Amino acid sequence: MNNDREPSRNAIGFALPLLIVALVWQLVVSIGLVDSSLVPSPWSIGRTMLGLLSPEPLILSYLVTSLYRMVVGFVLGSVIGILLGVPLGASGGLHKALKPILDFFISVPTICWVPLLLISVGMGDATVIIAVFLGCVFPVTYSAMNGVRSTRKDLVWAARGMGASSSRVLFAVLLPAALPSVITGLRLAVGYSWRALVGAEMLAAASSGIGYMIYAARAFYDVNVMFAGLVLIALAGLGMDYLVMGTLERRTIQKWGAVTKT
Amino acid sequence: MGSGHEDMIDAKGAAAAIEIARVRQEFCRDGLPVVALDSLDLSIRHNEFTVVVGPSGCGKTTLLYLMAGFEKPTSGRVLVHGREVEGPGRDRGIVFQDLALFPWRTVLGNIAFGLETARMKREDALALAREYVHLVGLEGFEKAYPNTLSGGMKQRVALARTLACEPDVLLMDEPFGALDVQTRRLMQEELVRIWETRRKTVVFVTHSVSEAVYLADTVYVLTARPGTVKGVVHVDLPRPREAPDPMVMAKRGEVLSLLESEVRKTHLMQTRPLDDAWR
Repeated sequence: MNNDREPSRNAIGFALPLLIVALVWQLVVSIGLVDSSLVPSPWSIGRTMLGLLSPEPLILSYLVTSLYRMVVGFVLGSVIGILLGVPLGASGGLHKALKPILDFFISVPTICWVPLLLISVGMGDATVIIAVFLGCVFPVTYSAMNGVRSTRKDLVWAARGMGASSSRVLFAVLLPAALPSVITGLRLAVGYSWRALVGAEMLAAASSGIGYMIYAARAFYDVNVMFAGLVLIALAGLGMDYLVMGTLERRTIQKWGAVTKT
Repeated sequence: MGSGHEDMIDAKGAAAAIEIARVRQEFCRDGLPVVALDSLDLSIRHNEFTVVVGPSGCGKTTLLYLMAGFEKPTSGRVLVHGREVEGPGRDRGIVFQDLALFPWRTVLGNIAFGLETARMKREDALALAREYVHLVGLEGFEKAYPNTLSGGMKQRVALARTLACEPDVLLMDEPFGALDVQTRRLMQEELVRIWETRRKTVVFVTHSVSEAVYLADTVYVLTARPGTVKGVVHVDLPRPREAPDPMVMAKRGEVLSLLESEVRKTHLMQTRPLDDAWR
């Protein structure tokens, strides 16, 4: 799992080990230790990626399509997850009744839903978006619930003592107090959702998306394209985690001292 | 102080600001019933500075939470301004042992919380909050988050946040317990200064005898659990009360002698090591 990556790690420290792996890999392929029709060299993967940019920026349009599906599904899933998780955390009864159900669904790998969705929703964007949604809604619900449940009692009492109503306690105390936990859940959810997206695109996207590109390439034994897609998926996943989640974390819970950067 | 923002305060002609009558409080710990307070009576006058001392675990905090309305007594009555306490309310402000500052709000945001809650306009709330920043001497730190502040500064924020709601009763739960000796003394001086300018009924819980005598008009000494009133010491000495003053030392001796046997009982009751009971 790569969810505990710290955003403050500098770029060189991050890129150097990857660069060394790429160099060794290049060497191994160049001297013919492995079959380059099964494992292409980094150089040839790079050339393939550039080739997919012109004459048409095919790879970019696939990436944009994938990101669009990701964003729609993820935003919906996160918002609904928080909306579900907060009352679940705030009410002991609801929590008791619904936690087993949540535990059940959280242990279902998201990709398991895709065959069902193919029957009920069919091929296309909707199925992929729903898969992304399902990838994040459960971890986000869970983390929002735990965040609210673990809110210090004296914070709630302090607010009540200052005359805060139940809704003010909810919005001005429980929600922000749950945020460190919610952000941890969101980071986890980005990983789940992104994996779900790629899997769903392989099975359900008729003609677009990075997952589709990889899967379609098998028909032509085009391992270069497969690896190009793989690299792009990794880079996009990293980017989302670092740029979106990392920024969110730095602007909120790190500033408050709820987590310390290392 | 004109704090007529709630009608319930009109019950003031009554003799006592806070009246605790035959209070018993039980709770469960590990499935076993524990009696925290028993047959507890006390009566606190308007604008009186009352300090409650007692051995650890004697129910001092429970007593404060009863007044604040966070807990309900198993039996007996808790009256504030002649009214039975039904729940938390703005007429009673509390400063918690762990301060309970909102880490996601700045110093100013914390102090303005109660004012915003009272549906005050945001700019009015912030302006008034600034006055309280000034009162506790935190100018220049308005935009700082609590995690960047020292213990004494956090303490000031917590006090200002509570005072900003203009409660008639100020409840303080060992607020200076975590501070170093120097800062603690400074905060005690500050508290007396603020209390002398904005008179309020204060109930202050501590287990420091010197703190009790420094601050209080009246010191209630509680017994070991189940807590009840062991004795009352009236400290009718002018402030500030400095240690070498033989009158101050005499009052300390009076409180200490009431407390000592109770602390010893607590030791015998507890299976924990000695130094732990002193915390």
